[in-house]
Amino acid sequence: MQSGASRDPEGALDTFPKWLRHHAQVRGARPAIRLKDRGIWRTWNWTDTHESVRALAHALRTLSIGVGDKVAIVGANRPALYWGITAAQWLRAVPVPVYADAVADEMAYVIENADVKIALVQDQEQVDKILSIAARLPQLTHILYDEERGLRTYDHSRLHFIAEVMAKSRAALAAPAMARELDDAIDDGRADDPSIMLYTSGTTGRSKGVVLSAGRSVAAARDTVEFDKLTDQDEQLAYLPLAWVGDHYLNYAQMFVAGGCMACPESADTVQQDLREIGPTFYFAPPRVFESLLTRVMIRMEDAGALKRAIFHHFLGLARRWGEKIMDGKRVPLHARLHYALGALLVYAPLKNVLGFSRIRTAYTAGEAIGQDLFSFYRSLGLNLKQLYGQTEAFLYVTCQADGAVRADTVGPAAPNVSLRLAPDGEVQFKSPGQFVEYYKDPAKTAEALTDDGFVKTGDAGIFDEDGQLKILDRAKDVGRLRDGTLFAPKYIENKLKFFPNIKEAVAYGDSRDFVTVMLNIELASVGNWAERNGIAYASYQEIAAHPRVYALIAEHVREVNRALAREAQMAGAQIRRFLILPKELEADDGELTRTQKVRRGFIAERYATLCAGLYDGSSAADIATEVTYEDGRKGVLAARVRIEDVDVDLPVSHEILRERAA
Amino acid sequence: MSFVYSIFVDPFVQMIGAPDLLVQTLWEGLVGGVLYALIALGFVLIFKASGVFNFAQGIMMVFAALTLVGLHEKGVPAFLALALTILVMFALALAVERVILRPLVNQPDIILFMATFGLTYVLIGLGELVFGGNPKNMITSELLLPSGSLDFKTLGGLVSLQKIDIAAAIIASLMVAVLALFFQKTRIGRALRAVADDHQAALSVGISLDQIWVIVWFTAGLVALATGIMWGARSNVSFALEIIALKALPVLILGGLTSVPGAIVGGLIIGIGEKLGEFYWGPLVGGGIESWLAYFIALAVLLFRPQGLFGEKIIERI
Amino acid sequence: MSVAAVEPATAAGETLLKVENVSLSFGGVRAIRDVSFDIRRGEIRAIIGPNGAGKTSMLNVINGFYHPQAGRITYKGATRRRMRPHQAAAQGVARTFQNVALFKGMTTLDNILTGRTLRMHKSFFWQLWRYGPALNEEIEHRKYCEEIIDFLEIERIRKEPVGRLPYGLQKRVELGRALAMQPDLLLLDEPMAGMNLEEKEDMSRFILDVNAEFGTTIALIEHDIGVVMDLSDRIVVLDYGNKIADGKPDEVRSDQKVIDAYLGVVH
Repeated sequence: MQSGASRDPEGALDTFPKWLRHHAQVRGARPAIRLKDRGIWRTWNWTDTHESVRALAHALRTLSIGVGDKVAIVGANRPALYWGITAAQWLRAVPVPVYADAVADEMAYVIENADVKIALVQDQEQVDKILSIAARLPQLTHILYDEERGLRTYDHSRLHFIAEVMAKSRAALAAPAMARELDDAIDDGRADDPSIMLYTSGTTGRSKGVVLSAGRSVAAARDTVEFDKLTDQDEQLAYLPLAWVGDHYLNYAQMFVAGGCMACPESADTVQQDLREIGPTFYFAPPRVFESLLTRVMIRMEDAGALKRAIFHHFLGLARRWGEKIMDGKRVPLHARLHYALGALLVYAPLKNVLGFSRIRTAYTAGEAIGQDLFSFYRSLGLNLKQLYGQTEAFLYVTCQADGAVRADTVGPAAPNVSLRLAPDGEVQFKSPGQFVEYYKDPAKTAEALTDDGFVKTGDAGIFDEDGQLKILDRAKDVGRLRDGTLFAPKYIENKLKFFPNIKEAVAYGDSRDFVTVMLNIELASVGNWAERNGIAYASYQEIAAHPRVYALIAEHVREVNRALAREAQMAGAQIRRFLILPKELEADDGELTRTQKVRRGFIAERYATLCAGLYDGSSAADIATEVTYEDGRKGVLAARVRIEDVDVDLPVSHEILRERAA
Repeated sequence: MSFVYSIFVDPFVQMIGAPDLLVQTLWEGLVGGVLYALIALGFVLIFKASGVFNFAQGIMMVFAALTLVGLHEKGVPAFLALALTILVMFALALAVERVILRPLVNQPDIILFMATFGLTYVLIGLGELVFGGNPKNMITSELLLPSGSLDFKTLGGLVSLQKIDIAAAIIASLMVAVLALFFQKTRIGRALRAVADDHQAALSVGISLDQIWVIVWFTAGLVALATGIMWGARSNVSFALEIIALKALPVLILGGLTSVPGAIVGGLIIGIGEKLGEFYWGPLVGGGIESWLAYFIALAVLLFRPQGLFGEKIIERI
Repeated sequence: MSVAAVEPATAAGETLLKVENVSLSFGGVRAIRDVSFDIRRGEIRAIIGPNGAGKTSMLNVINGFYHPQAGRITYKGATRRRMRPHQAAAQGVARTFQNVALFKGMTTLDNILTGRTLRMHKSFFWQLWRYGPALNEEIEHRKYCEEIIDFLEIERIRKEPVGRLPYGLQKRVELGRALAMQPDLLLLDEPMAGMNLEEKEDMSRFILDVNAEFGTTIALIEHDIGVVMDLSDRIVVLDYGNKIADGKPDEVRSDQKVIDAYLGVVH
């Protein structure tokens, strides 16, 4: 058992294809990639992977892919698509992963903007999407697909089945001269070759292609592989979107450097079961995933018998008290340790097993603020959950927490070899090993993103804690002020609301207004369960969202947030005065969320303008009629009358009073 | 005060005072329980697959035992008689499917229940007509079943295990294991479960209900035969055994009508419970509580879990 | 770039099933009166009509649940008098039910495996011990069922008892069980009843895919006339047990009798 990173004295392993060849030689029989297919896990070791990538690289070259050409990768996490990434890199071409759930229009933009020559896609759905926009993409020559279903009858003049072209390549590569030439091509790869282009979703405007170089990508991955001590024994479930920096870094780059294994889930729906079966050692999930898992556990416990429930809650209480201290190696009395060990036997281990967390050594969360309770819940069970802060422009890591120095409200100190600073206006700026080269074909935007001395501007406002850990407040440009000058950090308020399991999404308004208002989405799973227990019948999201008792339930949550805000000197004036529950769930397909599920406040305000007006004109209801997009791209109209409710605000509580109360 | 003492303290003092007697009582309860479980299993099989509450299950047991012994009395060698009895049970299954189930398909459950009443009297009549009404002795040794007892000097006394009881426990356990495997792991087992769930759907995938019914009734017949041999060896073979067969009723209530594990656990609880009750608490009321204690236990369970210990929870959604 | 999808040739194959002058009554109620139509190999055939038009009765006649008092049914060239449902199944007729008839206590996978019942050949003895040839056979069947699970995108619920699944998924599992029979004729009784728009879209896609991928002949009953028009090759319209129209979607749509009986009244 050893880290692949230690085995590179000359520093010659500066591209991913070189790592691939290295692993095939050093640990050829170790598993490299798995896929659950037709109910069975299939495994390719590093030798198989090397051979497959080689065949695919030859196929791409036959389709005249060469240095600098762009290859789009569209679909879910499948071995063939990952191979496509490495195969393109082998030829010094540039892979461009595209979000698989992007609608045709968004996809057309990326494919066109990136000058994509060949698209490697998963299935008929993606083929159809690309065919529907093919007329606008003259530079696109071929489409290769991984799953044959439904495509057999299509015209195959420019459409190819990956398995078929790979088989042809294998036959061709039987000729030694051909094979040698291809193998030698790996050594042509240079550290400053563009290694990948990742399109950032961006909360505003069109997305930009972030160009990352091979050498920098590898360097960044080496640092964190060492930081978290990843080896070829490590395994993880590759379930994050291919086009997101998180997948390319955590699954692809880190595993390529460490020589570990990534497992591709059977489908997006089976991730939870696949996680259990694989039992990964490294895991990343955004806070919302941890949250929905917790919600599901709690709902299931509600249905359990009284005895089980009592045992469960007893030991959760115990874990809350001692679990994190034990994990952080602090002093804990013996009786507590023994009691905790019993809890591990009876509750924590089985629970972690159900969640697929049994073997995890390192888990990260990032992307959004995570609630203290939620964060502590997992840590107290003995899950080494940490936070990181990252950006596509950094090739992920900017800051990350070290084992034993973990807190919920911070994101950690600078990651290894990262320089970090705060601009005078509070903006976080960094220089990192994996730092991006440029935005593709956009020198103006590139220049805009960098300071004169070469630091990257994150656009996030933050502060340092006394121990040097970074705390992120909000997007710098989103921090505004109410008319009376009170500081208004919308995300800060939204996050406080979203920590309630019943609230799925919140959008806060208040900049240049007299007071703060919010639009909410309820979490159907937990509110539905609550409704069932309380005998409230409903047929749709829209119906339950409008129910007066649901409004009462949510109003209580809003009041609680107000009470919390009242205790913070800077925020007390930004309490929520009015709120409403939206009649539909916010969707990325409707442009209301970004592809990474962040709310697009401005867009939502425009789209629900009548509701927004209602929030501020004092009326008790407002009407809305808006167009919605169904999953298949068809459109429909949603019309509803939405209730608007007033909420009490708390008097600001000064810190002196708080202290007196505590005493 | 002394009454309370004699209920809540004295029996336990006795148990601890004479552990050999306790073990002996537990053992006898266990063997009885295993046999109750087997009878209940026959009920559950038929109830699950055809939705029929087979009142005749107890009589099937007696009928099977009687046929076996009767054939032997008429000069048929023991194992040939056993084989013939199995054939008779198969014929019975065929007849039941043809004469009762097929014509009455889609009738209300109560009609089918009444039909099994009829079956009960037909079997009694037939048995007495052919083999006579006198109690008979089970052909234990002829079937190479052991007799005598194993005595252990232990726990400061003597624990005596009848060899036939040991054989009964082993055979019953084997039977349960084979049935469980059969249900869970084979195509026929899957088909049986399918039929138990939804007749129409089972038909639509090509499962033949007639075949399944025959298989189920035949299986129940085999279980009845095994139970009959064991009970017969413990006492004798006569229609009085039917009273014992009715003990399956509280077992079913306890375990739930549709649960195989329920039948087993229910059988054991009733078997052990009534022996303990009879031996330690029986004298308080002048003995003889064994005959009704089982029903009492079952009713108590019914109060708290109407679906039985293992039964499916039936929630009516409004 | 012009990579156009080639339309799969709409099969106008030979006649698979022929219904001639069939009448069915229950007591005094005449559910079907002298109805004739045919189903050709490879097509999607819809039977529509207002409530009580006799659609489900017609399906039950084809499937062997009901025996008509008059008329003939010719299936695969053989005219039959009476047929029991499991015999119909043995001859390649699979069906789904209007109100979902699944084995609720069994998992999705087991439900689909029951669809293989008639394809399992090994003897009872081997089945009993689940060993030797029967084990290999079981693996083959499992493989086939996994293909269906993949096809219908129900991997997530493979091991879940179907009784706990939402209605839309149950309908999909039921379709899976019917597909596992590798039927020549697939009868779908209101496959989209009780579904929301998205589930209907999914189900339509699956029906079209089944027809295209496996070449399965499909006869479906549906209430949602819009869906039927898009899906089917030919449509029979029933009203009060009588056939009032028969033809391609466009012909049926413009048929005055249909508009009066169905479209005009209900919609």
